[in-house]
Amino acid sequence: MLTRRNAFKAAAGLAATATVGVSQGALAADKSIKVGLNMSFTGADAESATRVANGAILAFDDANATNAIKGYKFEYVKFDDGTATAGQYDPAQAATNAKKMVSDKGFVAALGPQMSGAGKAMAPILSEGNLAIITPSSTNPDITNPKFAAQYRPAGKAIYFRTVATDAFQGPNMANFMAKTLKIKSVYILDDSGAYGVGLADAFQGQIEKLGVKVLGRDRLDPKAADYASVLTKIKALAPDAMYYGGVGQAGVKLAKQSYEIIPNVIKAGGDGVYSTDLLKGAGFPAVDGWYATQASPHVTEDKSAEVFTTRFFQRFGTHPDDYAVTCYTGAQVIIQAAKNLVAAGKEPTRDAMQAAIQTVSLKGSLIGTVEFDENGDMKNKVISVFQIKKDTTKALDDTEGQYKYIGVAPMA
Amino acid sequence: MTAGDLFLQQAINGLSLGAMYSLLALGFTLVYGIMELINFSHFNVFMVGAMIAMLTLQAFGLHGQETILTGLPLIGVLLVAFIVAMTVCGFIGVAIERFLLRPLRSVKGPAAMITTIGVSYILFNVVLLTIGTDSKNFPNPLPPITWEIGGAVLRLREILIWVIALVLMGGLTYFVTYTKLGKAMRATAQDPEAARMMGVEVDQVVMSAFFLGSALAGASGMIFGLYYNLAKVDIGFASGLRAFTAAVLGGIGNVPGAMLGGVLIGLIESASGQLVGTAWSDVVIFGILVLVLVFRPAGLLGRLAPNKS
Amino acid sequence: MNTTTAAHPSATLTHKQRSMLLTILAFIFFAVLPKIWTDDGDLDSLANAMSYATLALGLNIVVGFAGLLDLGYAAFFAIGAYYYGIFTSFQVMPVWSDAWAPLAYVGLVEKLNQGGPDLVHFTLSFWLALPTGGVIAAFFGMLFGFPVLRLRGDYLAIVTLGFGEIVQICARNMESLTNGAAGLNGVQGPKLFGYRFGVHSEPYYYVGLLLVAFLVFVSFRLRGSRIGRAWMAIREDETAASAMGISLVNYKLLAFAMGAAFAGMTGVFFVAKLQTATPEMFNSAVSSMLLVMVVLGGMGSVWGVVVGAVLLQLMQTWFLPQSSEWLHSIGKLTGIGFLQTVDMVQWTQLIFGVILVLMMLFRRQGLIPAVRKVAPLTMQQQTASVVRGGFVGLDKIGRWAPGKGDALVIKDVVVKFGGLVALNKVSLTVPDGGVVAVIGPNGSGKSTLFNVITGLVEADSGSISFNGVELLGLAPHKVLEAGVARTFQNIRLFPNLNVLENILIGEHARLKTGPFGAVIRPPSVVREENSAVQWAKDIAAMFSNRLTPRLDQTVSGLSYANRRRVEIARALASRPKILLLDEPTAGMNPAESLELAEQIKSLHDLGLTILLIEHKLDVVTRLADNVIVLDHGDKIAEGLPDDVRKDEEVLRAYLGRSGGH
Repeated sequence: MLTRRNAFKAAAGLAATATVGVSQGALAADKSIKVGLNMSFTGADAESATRVANGAILAFDDANATNAIKGYKFEYVKFDDGTATAGQYDPAQAATNAKKMVSDKGFVAALGPQMSGAGKAMAPILSEGNLAIITPSSTNPDITNPKFAAQYRPAGKAIYFRTVATDAFQGPNMANFMAKTLKIKSVYILDDSGAYGVGLADAFQGQIEKLGVKVLGRDRLDPKAADYASVLTKIKALAPDAMYYGGVGQAGVKLAKQSYEIIPNVIKAGGDGVYSTDLLKGAGFPAVDGWYATQASPHVTEDKSAEVFTTRFFQRFGTHPDDYAVTCYTGAQVIIQAAKNLVAAGKEPTRDAMQAAIQTVSLKGSLIGTVEFDENGDMKNKVISVFQIKKDTTKALDDTEGQYKYIGVAPMA
Repeated sequence: MTAGDLFLQQAINGLSLGAMYSLLALGFTLVYGIMELINFSHFNVFMVGAMIAMLTLQAFGLHGQETILTGLPLIGVLLVAFIVAMTVCGFIGVAIERFLLRPLRSVKGPAAMITTIGVSYILFNVVLLTIGTDSKNFPNPLPPITWEIGGAVLRLREILIWVIALVLMGGLTYFVTYTKLGKAMRATAQDPEAARMMGVEVDQVVMSAFFLGSALAGASGMIFGLYYNLAKVDIGFASGLRAFTAAVLGGIGNVPGAMLGGVLIGLIESASGQLVGTAWSDVVIFGILVLVLVFRPAGLLGRLAPNKS
Repeated sequence: MNTTTAAHPSATLTHKQRSMLLTILAFIFFAVLPKIWTDDGDLDSLANAMSYATLALGLNIVVGFAGLLDLGYAAFFAIGAYYYGIFTSFQVMPVWSDAWAPLAYVGLVEKLNQGGPDLVHFTLSFWLALPTGGVIAAFFGMLFGFPVLRLRGDYLAIVTLGFGEIVQICARNMESLTNGAAGLNGVQGPKLFGYRFGVHSEPYYYVGLLLVAFLVFVSFRLRGSRIGRAWMAIREDETAASAMGISLVNYKLLAFAMGAAFAGMTGVFFVAKLQTATPEMFNSAVSSMLLVMVVLGGMGSVWGVVVGAVLLQLMQTWFLPQSSEWLHSIGKLTGIGFLQTVDMVQWTQLIFGVILVLMMLFRRQGLIPAVRKVAPLTMQQQTASVVRGGFVGLDKIGRWAPGKGDALVIKDVVVKFGGLVALNKVSLTVPDGGVVAVIGPNGSGKSTLFNVITGLVEADSGSISFNGVELLGLAPHKVLEAGVARTFQNIRLFPNLNVLENILIGEHARLKTGPFGAVIRPPSVVREENSAVQWAKDIAAMFSNRLTPRLDQTVSGLSYANRRRVEIARALASRPKILLLDEPTAGMNPAESLELAEQIKSLHDLGLTILLIEHKLDVVTRLADNVIVLDHGDKIAEGLPDDVRKDEEVLRAYLGRSGGH
């Protein structure tokens, strides 16, 4: 099957050269660096998957257009780990995709997956094949936790890298910020039942309890349910200073709207899951006004690169990038940088070489700051930036850059 | 808030949910009463209703929560949106019945029900591919008027939802009790064979049941949008499942039963959010459903049909 | 005659041989496939497709065989999956005590020290988990099924949907057990004689293939047994099934448990392959997609659902992604922008929806229908000579030895429907070996009388005793077991089953084969089945050659008179002590009525006790020793046929009114 797939690729390639003409003909001799993009293009997360993948596509197309590595071209192949059977990401399909990538020696690196559940199914397979993958969004700490090394990297080397901070830092640092800077005395904690949200809320809860802030309760939202009024009424009766929400937009939008109506005066905060266009568009002002959110990267104030990226992304794809489009773009940049380093050192970008190169890469000045990985594959950079939504009518109301105001760095836990 | 205020507030929440579920449950019950068919496409007709209502309001230039209307313009805009959503949904229902279900009417077994599952998929994915999967900011032109009752807060939108639900349910009750077509519907539900022999046009009755049920789903979708200021492609399943449970709880096929069941499910959901945690709401709802069915298999207001053999 | 008996068995034999050959070829093909097609990803995809095939096989037992609509089937998949996941991972680790030592000795647990106290690490073997996972899921199947299986089909659908949700919610929220949304860590893969399966596809592929083969085998064995026939009877007509001695609750529970067991085993396999489990893997979309697979393949068709599952799975994981690439290439060649960017994968669910609707409208029986078309009878077979004048071949049936007393004694039975009194203190007696006829105008309560005797309708008061056994309060299948068999006024056969199967279902209560016997088929079961078939053929042969040449024809295609005959044959097959015939000659022409009357008479001559409802007075006069007349639920007369015919009140009530229409 793969031979047939390649045959079609070749045919398509020929056709492209034929129609576009000579300018591409000279490049035909370039060797290709093949990268797999594993996202959930089917089902509930289809739209964000496309956005995330587009981040990588932008980076690779840029590299190809500017001839970033002489004699090499990046080729990306999309793999869909969502199935109609599961209605969303399907770990079984993620495992299949991992096996496909591993068994095709052409693949030297990969980007994805979006979900930790898929990551757990892929990691052991990728480890056996020594194929490095960079996840733009799966934040569950287990996969890179040395405690589970035997499970997730049986072959020994780190292959699961992240351009996103695990929940282990975002939650606790925000807890510090809320206790020390906002000086809250009591808090109610919610999560959205997802792997990301539960992990984030757990980590937050652990730290905030240590700091002596009273946790008045913890509840779990069903992201598919519409009504959170009853739990918000319960929170209202408890009158906490703040509410912390671990989760993403699906429940977050509904929570923002309904909490604005029921508990308007309670401080509301979340992680990077509430730093999103989704929230601005879906819940809108005035509901989102005043929400705190975090980003797992240092804020680059003087640099206009973020704005440039947003504009270019919009021009190319017609949608605003979300957070994970940025981390995926950065992940692709890491792969490009690693390959560049190898070629500069006169080495072939093989799979083994790429794993080693990604492990030791140092990508400076990216949209999320300097990217370097520790021995487990996590980012060394653990700065958590805090933002607050403040309505700015001079900017587009669904533009995250315009509406999220930088507050400062959350104190390390 | 005192415990009494809390109770009152949760009751207000529950009644609003209940009003929405009741309208949705009526659609299930009307179709089931006449055809003994679980209509799974109803889930997503409801979702389409919310989307149509949203597009209609947007056509009036209303976006998000920015524009607040009062007086006649408010009533006019809402009325138009309700009528458009209900009519479009009603005709979707009629189309489903006429083209996909009528050819299967004489077929025994689950064929018709499986067809409705297929239709549900189709509606869902057509909206997904055209409107998208993200949460939509449903326009809310209602002025933010609230009343304080002790510590509890009653909002204008809650009153509005109750009034609309009561009007629609009253209208439906009047329709099935007093009009010729309504009487024909009840007769068909009781005994289709006898009704046909007495000259009832069964095709017409079935089609009206689909039109009415789907129109109520459209109204329910509009109410959903107004209440939550939100529309999303996946809202059909969770609300539909609760509404269907409500219909069964009240006694499926029974019009007052669906209304009662809807209100009860709304109150149960509210109470379980307060007492057990929202994550377990579905477990509580289904647990109660199973208990009711075990001890009262025909539902609260339903009666068991005599065994015809 | 000779040609008919010779032609048919040989035809079925070739069909059997052909399908056997196909099966073996398919198996060999799939067995050698990994040696030719070595792509690990594609093999994994096939292994996933096999998992869905086994799930579809299980759902097919519940929905296809027994006709119970289960919309939450993924719940049992989840139970098997988490059972294996929890007992092979580091999720649950109680503190070690010496009580665990025996389990450690047999290898189920091991002592683990991660600093701190010694802990217990569960190390359940995959090969042990596979069958036990099935058993545990079956247990949950019965647990869920028990309170709700009495409900009507539609209620069952919604309750199963609810159970599907509940199991998923539990998996999500019981974090200490399942690690919640984050998913299980450290689930062990299978080992076989020291060989670790690890992450390579091939060993899983073979396990999956064997699992499919095993469950296909089990499905076929069940389908062709007493158990499968009972399920199909329930699917076709619950009332008739229970009147034929099938315990509805037991067999529905069995179907639920069996289907759940398939899902549980698949869950174990799936998680062993994946080495993690998250709650989303078992959501409601999975349940409805499995239903699509079963419907597409053909409900009740074993090969059909396997093909349906594999097709749908390969379509979404292979064909649609590939077809988008093809379309992109075409788009680039032709310069059509839309084709260059279209992503067919996003259309998957839409395409499934359309498939589902189109299948229902145009091909409800599925891709591979469960019911095979049988060639219609030739003219010669149809017109073969019919022997008139009673049953033939009665020597094979044996005689009844009637006692001297009363067989059936009905005393003061009252049945009310709401305000309507259907039977008002009706009493009657049927002597052993006698024939009693009940007559009366429409709506006089005759059929209600039969229904109350056979347990389909509850009496408000009174008593009905049969050979000293009180029948009131017994479930219909218990009434049949007591020796009371009936036919229905409006014929309640099992329409999609053939004549032989219909008659065999009548024997249900007299056979013993259980589910394990049906699958393993030891000599005792083979003997029982052979003699059951022989008995059914003997019964069919009594109707001269009306039924014998049509044994493998679906009953829905038979003539009205033949369907009546099958129903009587079905009742006789249960070896009743009393036969309740509800208007047996209704809808027959005079010649056919006469023929049937002769046949009933010959049963009477053999000593069978008969209670008869009949409109045709000549038939009644010919057969009955005693006649009871009902009107508006009251017994208005009783006596010899000729006396009753002359009774003034009867003439007025019965003939006067029935003459009116």
